Amino acid sequence: MTSATALWYASRATGVICLVLFSLVAVLGIIVNRQGRLPGLPRFAVTGLHRNLSLLTVAFLGMHIVTAIADGYAHIPWLSTVVPFTSGYERFWIGLGTVALDLFAAVIVTSLLRDRLAPAVWRAVHWLAYVSYPVIVVHSLGASKDLRSGWLLALTMATVFAVVTAISYRVIAAYAAVPRHRLVPEQLAQADKTGSLR
Amino acid sequence: MTAAVRDAETSRANAGATMLPRLLPATGQPMDLSAHLKVHGRAPYRGGPRMLIHTIESAGLTGRGGAAFPTHRKLTAVADQKGVPVVVGNGAEGEPASDKDKRLLWSSPHLVLDGLQLAAETVGARQVHLYVHRHPELLRRLHSALAERAAAGLDRIAVALVTAPPRFLAGEESALASRVEGGAALPRFTPPRIFERGVNGAPTLVQNVETLAQLALISRYGPAWFRAVGTEQEPGSMLTTLRRADGGGGVEEIAIGTPIADPLRLAEHPAQAVLVGGYHGAWLSPEQAGRLTLSNADLRPLGAAVGAGVLAALPTDRCGIVESARVVQYLALESAGQCGPCLNGLPRIAATFMQLADHRSAPSAQDDLRRWSKLVERRGACHHPDGTVRFLRSALTVFADEVTLHEARRCSASTYKPFLPIPAGSPGHEDDWI
Repeated sequence: MTSATALWYASRATGVICLVLFSLVAVLGIIVNRQGRLPGLPRFAVTGLHRNLSLLTVAFLGMHIVTAIADGYAHIPWLSTVVPFTSGYERFWIGLGTVALDLFAAVIVTSLLRDRLAPAVWRAVHWLAYVSYPVIVVHSLGASKDLRSGWLLALTMATVFAVVTAISYRVIAAYAAVPRHRLVPEQLAQADKTGSLR
Repeated sequence: MTAAVRDAETSRANAGATMLPRLLPATGQPMDLSAHLKVHGRAPYRGGPRMLIHTIESAGLTGRGGAAFPTHRKLTAVADQKGVPVVVGNGAEGEPASDKDKRLLWSSPHLVLDGLQLAAETVGARQVHLYVHRHPELLRRLHSALAERAAAGLDRIAVALVTAPPRFLAGEESALASRVEGGAALPRFTPPRIFERGVNGAPTLVQNVETLAQLALISRYGPAWFRAVGTEQEPGSMLTTLRRADGGGGVEEIAIGTPIADPLRLAEHPAQAVLVGGYHGAWLSPEQAGRLTLSNADLRPLGAAVGAGVLAALPTDRCGIVESARVVQYLALESAGQCGPCLNGLPRIAATFMQLADHRSAPSAQDDLRRWSKLVERRGACHHPDGTVRFLRSALTVFADEVTLHEARRCSASTYKPFLPIPAGSPGHEDDWI
């Protein structure tokens, strides 16, 4: 690696990190949605992890984009960060990245403004996360030949598998969901069995 | 005010304004439309919005559903909103220990229906609902009362009957709004308050049926008549549901400010404690019950309230802890399960309280109960956790000696026959909330 290729490598590396982070955030989001727990973590910490990792993703995504544009080899105009399919280099694959970025930005911005938005608005926009994920994966596989073989392919497959599993879990759990008021008698029976705990 | 109304007011004021009952028929016989018209005449419509508000303000009428909120302020708040308001008469007392709304609707339905019309005129509503429990006979009676009124051309707005599920929280304002919209009677987060955005987003006036009946009387006989009984701060009479220590009782109309001991006949039938305000209310010691009057001025300093007028005198042969634990368990099971503190906290509290009642509690039980009470308070969309821990705390305080006995695996009671009424069955299905 030379100074000339440093930006290029940095862009590819941060891209891979973003893909992994996106997948983690998606899985955590589904756990939060189903009010699930992670071992050793209280529920609010799962929510906190989901939020903080998504902000970390923003940081790596920023690096990914800035390094990709700053690198002189691939000519990607600044316009391409916002407007899809305007890049001369890999127009389609880079364009998908832009689409994913726009969707992700909408999800992040509405989440930061969540207190000031109607819950329904935030919720509707948050659903876009499910749209952005496949776009991200296709962008990654299309724009980078690194991911199509070797351990990076395995990593990509693993992240996709994790997200698909989480989505299936969400769908199945939603079907099997018990209305919360029906949980009350169960809670009572359980509390009586465990007795008063310190 | 028309001359006829003024005459009626004077004659009524002269002829025994202090006489009770006012709301319930003196004969005990339910009032049909002809009897109602003979005694009270037609509803004195004022001819436009807001005309009645000043009268209600001078009368000092407060909500009889439990919160004792000044009625004129609610009327003003709803009338001030943009949009055409909706009026709902709330007759769905979820409180198992209270029968007064059912009794009023059964005995004096036309006072309530007059009140609904007058309230609707006052806030400028074009939609009126009456929200009541699914008692087939009561519903039949109300349907025929409404048909009679329609035939006589008494109602300016048709009243739609909406039925409430038999749940403790069904009468909570936001649950009511949701039910009137056609959904499940589950409490919602406020704000927005119901008077701002209630039924289908319209500003909504929710008044307890007794409040409406009182309003119908005040509009006829005036504030001075209304104030002839009651106290200066809390004028008028209220319907109470009495459970005396000897097993007697029923619904009685009493003046606010009456000593609690009188209607319960505590001198004759001594009690070991008195429950005021129902299952979200508080226990009083016999000493407090003997000293205090039925008024918020007396009760609020103790953390208690008149509420919806429940007065129950616990006989000396019962166990206050067992009785209270049954109630807390019932309340926990009546949780809508929507908010974490209620879903997780109340069952835990109820189970531990039950263990205390059953002599199988851990030594830490009382401390745990007090600690958990603080953790659930003010954390719900509605006041269910708050009311439940208010009741629990008063039980731990008033029955402190009994708690000590129970911790030593003993009990002073000679019978465990339930005294306070507990409905059977907890919600198991979505339809239970519709």
